[in-house]
Amino acid sequence: MFAITPNTLSNFMISLSRYIILLSLALISVSIFLIIFLENDYYQGISFKIMFIHVPTAWLSLAIFLVMGISSIIGLIFKSPTAFTVARSLSPIGLIMSIIVLVTGSIWGNLTWGAYWVWDARLTSMLILAFIYLGHILLLHSFEHFQKADFAASILAIIGLVNLPIVKFSVDWWTTLHQESSVLRMGGPSMTNDYLITLLVSFFGIFMLTIFWFSNIFYIIVEKRKMERSILLND
Amino acid sequence: MRIIKLNSQIKKRFIFLLIIFACFSASIFLISYSLKDQIAYFVEPTDLKSMDGIENKYLRVGGLVKTNSLKFLDGKWIFEVVDQNQNSVNVVFSKTLPNLVEENKGIIVEGKFIDNIFIAEIVLAKHDENYMPQSAIDKLKEEGKWRGN
Repeated sequence: MFAITPNTLSNFMISLSRYIILLSLALISVSIFLIIFLENDYYQGISFKIMFIHVPTAWLSLAIFLVMGISSIIGLIFKSPTAFTVARSLSPIGLIMSIIVLVTGSIWGNLTWGAYWVWDARLTSMLILAFIYLGHILLLHSFEHFQKADFAASILAIIGLVNLPIVKFSVDWWTTLHQESSVLRMGGPSMTNDYLITLLVSFFGIFMLTIFWFSNIFYIIVEKRKMERSILLND
Repeated sequence: MRIIKLNSQIKKRFIFLLIIFACFSASIFLISYSLKDQIAYFVEPTDLKSMDGIENKYLRVGGLVKTNSLKFLDGKWIFEVVDQNQNSVNVVFSKTLPNLVEENKGIIVEGKFIDNIFIAEIVLAKHDENYMPQSAIDKLKEEGKWRGN
């Protein structure tokens, strides 16, 4: 498993990427269709429909960080270049995802709560997650040798893993303005089935888009390193 | 496939990471545990009973708007915020309420107690994690399973 080189993984993912992007576009189109024709919420009206972007991107921003943290651990322990490259190509996607979460959340908050931003535990820990993503990207670009950058950034990713349960359980541990989890909670989802199906279709569409995006960034990094190596050899 | 040998180098790195992670998570736990009153966004009316010196102190109180208590008198909104233990707080608010403030729905008021009446400066509507269309509620009402208002 740790013998996979970045090159093998990159070629494998690029060979699948056309199917992944087609599947993603199909799922996203279906979910847009479903969202438009879905009945409004009895209490929040049409403004609750922003949930179908907010919740999938929120799940993904947490999941991406979990994968980043685990691959950083594998990279540091087994000195695996593949694992480091996985972490390196995931952090820009995670940053964009968490920015989408914060922006859609602000819009939703202004429509329902009556405030764009408050400093409650969920919102603050999510903002910290976005800053950790930003710090990871900055660390990766502040070293001359990519091996050193990978080492420093992995330590940040591993330390940042502590923030994940805080984001997820902040609404249960402290009183917050943010509502509690609707799907991943004890006692099953607290929404009707048509909402839940729409949410899952939208989630898988954005998830496939994330995988497509990830494989492209991974491919670019691998090809860039190959090119740099061949330039060094020719000099 | 290469066979992974758990040699002493790998063990050393693993222990090093474990120690970093454990120290950091312990410190985060201690910080958030000692600051738990500051991290909490609001207090419930029941918590106010055990707090002293709440007069003139800037607070956030959260709960539900009590049924039949929301009134508009002399250009001011007057209502009661009630929690699960039926303790309540009288609130006065002189600005526009958010759209979603309704009786028997969540609310958070920010302001001060003056003569046992809470003078709110900011009011936020707090919606819960339940989402359903009106048709599903009508169906539940027909079956007699609906417990809301």
